[in-house]
Amino acid sequence: MTASCTNPFLLAFPTTPIERIHDTRSDYEILAGAAAALADEIDEPRMRAYWKGVLDGDPTPYLQRVLSGSNATRGVLFDDLHESCKDGVPLLMNARTYPRHAGWEQRQEDKPWYTPTGRLEFYRPEPEWQAAGESLPVWREPVDATFYEPNAILANRRHPSINPRKPEDYGVPESQLDVETRQYRNVVRTWQELKLSKHPLTEKDPAYRFVFQTPKYRWGAHSTAVDSDWIAMLFGPFGDPYRRDPRTPWTGEAYAELGPGDAKELGVSDGDYIWLDADPEDRPYRGASSDDEYYDVARVMMRVRTYSGMPRGVIRTWFNMYAATPGTVQAQKDDPGGPAQNPATGYVALFRHGSHQSGTRAYLRPTQMTDSMTRKAYFGQQIGTGFEADVHSPSGAPKEGFVKVEKAEDGAPDGGKWRPVELGLRPEAPSDAMKAYLAGEFVSRTRKEA
Amino acid sequence: MAKVRNWQLGRDMEYPYVADRPAKQFTMIMDTNKCIACQSCTIACKSTWTWGKGQEFMLWNNIETKPYGFYPTGWDVNVLELLGEQEWDGDDVYTGQTVFEAAPAGERVLGWAPAEEDWSHPNIGEDEPTGSADETTYIPDKPHSLMWMYYLQRICNHCTYPACVAACPREAIYKRPEDGIVLVDQTRCRGYQECLTACPYKKTMFNLETRVSEKCIGCYPKLEQGLQTQCTTACIGRLRLTNYLSAPDEVDPRKPADFLVHVRMIALPLYPQLGLEPNVYYIPPVHVPTKYLTQMFGPGVERAVEMYRNAKDDPELLGLLMLFGSTERIWHTWDVSDGVARAYDEDGEEVVAVPLREPTFTRPFEFATEVAGEPVTGFRHNT
Ligand code: SF4
Ligand code: SF4
Repeated sequence: MTASCTNPFLLAFPTTPIERIHDTRSDYEILAGAAAALADEIDEPRMRAYWKGVLDGDPTPYLQRVLSGSNATRGVLFDDLHESCKDGVPLLMNARTYPRHAGWEQRQEDKPWYTPTGRLEFYRPEPEWQAAGESLPVWREPVDATFYEPNAILANRRHPSINPRKPEDYGVPESQLDVETRQYRNVVRTWQELKLSKHPLTEKDPAYRFVFQTPKYRWGAHSTAVDSDWIAMLFGPFGDPYRRDPRTPWTGEAYAELGPGDAKELGVSDGDYIWLDADPEDRPYRGASSDDEYYDVARVMMRVRTYSGMPRGVIRTWFNMYAATPGTVQAQKDDPGGPAQNPATGYVALFRHGSHQSGTRAYLRPTQMTDSMTRKAYFGQQIGTGFEADVHSPSGAPKEGFVKVEKAEDGAPDGGKWRPVELGLRPEAPSDAMKAYLAGEFVSRTRKEA
Repeated sequence: MAKVRNWQLGRDMEYPYVADRPAKQFTMIMDTNKCIACQSCTIACKSTWTWGKGQEFMLWNNIETKPYGFYPTGWDVNVLELLGEQEWDGDDVYTGQTVFEAAPAGERVLGWAPAEEDWSHPNIGEDEPTGSADETTYIPDKPHSLMWMYYLQRICNHCTYPACVAACPREAIYKRPEDGIVLVDQTRCRGYQECLTACPYKKTMFNLETRVSEKCIGCYPKLEQGLQTQCTTACIGRLRLTNYLSAPDEVDPRKPADFLVHVRMIALPLYPQLGLEPNVYYIPPVHVPTKYLTQMFGPGVERAVEMYRNAKDDPELLGLLMLFGSTERIWHTWDVSDGVARAYDEDGEEVVAVPLREPTFTRPFEFATEVAGEPVTGFRHNT
């Protein structure tokens, strides 16, 4: 069953008439099975009763509870939804309008917004927000992914509403810029000052000069873009169902996208393998050392794709690919030329070493952790204050870092450039034919005489 | 060699067999502007037809980003390079050579044989623009001269004058007289792979297990039931239309493909200059330099782009485009009235109706209903 707050349709995926393959269970069956086993173990029948529907093979009462408990689906009978979806027809969400326009009641009627004043509020008077210097919407540099002083508030220092509690007010010297401290540092800088500053890592080692971003991929959520061998093959430029390059982890492979100018400066070509390193203070893990047993499981290696759309100094790797594990790294050592697949579990990695998260970490934001903020509840229409999961709480998605790059291996398995580069089909070194093709020169039109 | 009429070139041309147009011709129309390269079509095709051993690399339907995407590697650059620079006389007549006319002595088609590795990297170049963002990503002009890319939807073109048919020494490839679908007879084929060398679109493929050639079959078992192909019905962007095209001397403007291809000329063939009279037609992307598009779709691109830009004020065209992807059934005529586009089958029965503008409905705040005999009340909210 699925729905979203913007989509007007309510859907159920009809139960399949095909029997489950192998000895597989869905998540709720595993939970119910564990509860039933514990019920017997400690002689507590309520633990079994709690999952009665699942254990009896009918989970629809739970689905019905979700429908009856949710504002926009109250009044829908699960069986009606299921029957309709079997014919390919979803039901409509029971919102005020179809399609659903967010804020319609507030704009068209006299309903208040879910704020203390009932109006849209652009100033946060709570003391925690004032202390953070974020009473007004302000720009803060990223905590790590910036060329300049991390997490600085970019503003005019004389602004009366931007007057945060400074590091010294907390007994921390302003010069302290380690990865933990800088996530809640409140310093105000003008652009004149900020643009002359440098990331503390660049100060120590100028090779650290790339903003590393790991956004979600447009094709799917979580790992759906690489869940099957076909999809992995279609994921990006390095797919090959036959793994003709024996180094590749699977039918597709993770890659870092660099602008052609940056690639050239680094001496890497399209299709080469690189190592990518973030702040050694805590990545790939705290206290890492190159002779650790699992160092090459945690440190990331990937292919490079030179991508003309990347701005200078920015590197991108998609967020959704399976990370290397001790089992997958060992598998490629034990069977050179084989896939990065753990023989014990069948798990396959899309990285030979490490993952996109080798270069990123989560940070906490004080203004996401206040106790005085008024906000709507996660379910229903109530308003309350303080912590509410997914509404007002830290969201620690590890997405960005600041990194250096070094070449690991050539693009071709026996040395030399990746085959498409050799063929002159890549932007790095286009053949004459490719240049003519890009310019549309293979066809001309002679103008007819008037 | 016979003389045949290729209307896309505005002239007669040489072809090894005499012209024999089918009773009706399978066609697909693609609106390139709506594609998001989700590859739903690719997977729908692969999970239907090419999931077996020896077919691992095969994508009868594939989506490639132009200009850096290719499947197989370099396919169109290679054939254009082989053929060399060619000319159109104004908008109507192609004065250059086709792949049949430029064939080397002793051969029927000018072609090249793809290497096995060329079928790797089926999504190379994905989302890659031309130019460079080193200086700026701000693109002030249209069409974009600095940075552009778009998605090209590719299946076999079920050509009127197929190079695969021309090149096969076993006469194992044939064009069905009833709908123009081009098929490889799996029992006659001996795996010489002449078709792989000849087809400039590289849409015949060699099965590594059976050791004979295969290709897109236009989902003919579906067509025979009056249904559109798998790639069409799976399309998220609703940009495909499976239909039939009339011969140029039998054009019926009430039929959707005839209207788009022959009457309005908004849908154009892929590399018409190669001379195969391909039967997949493309509404060209609106943001790409004309010179590149002319190389790919022929000299009608400016007019097609202009017409597409004005489609919002053109209900007949807009309605037809809105009916793309609205039904699994193949439909035959359409009309637009009172802001609704309707498609009809061969007997004039309505197949589907689509509003040109999505209406907004407002419901009361309070509601009361009954579910399984129990009263249910509540309030409706948007936010
Ligand atoms: S596209 Fe290629 S395979 Fe398809 S009919 Fe034309 S020549 Fe034959
Ligand atoms: S399914 Fe449609 S939108 Fe998606 S890639 Fe194929 S043609 Fe494009």
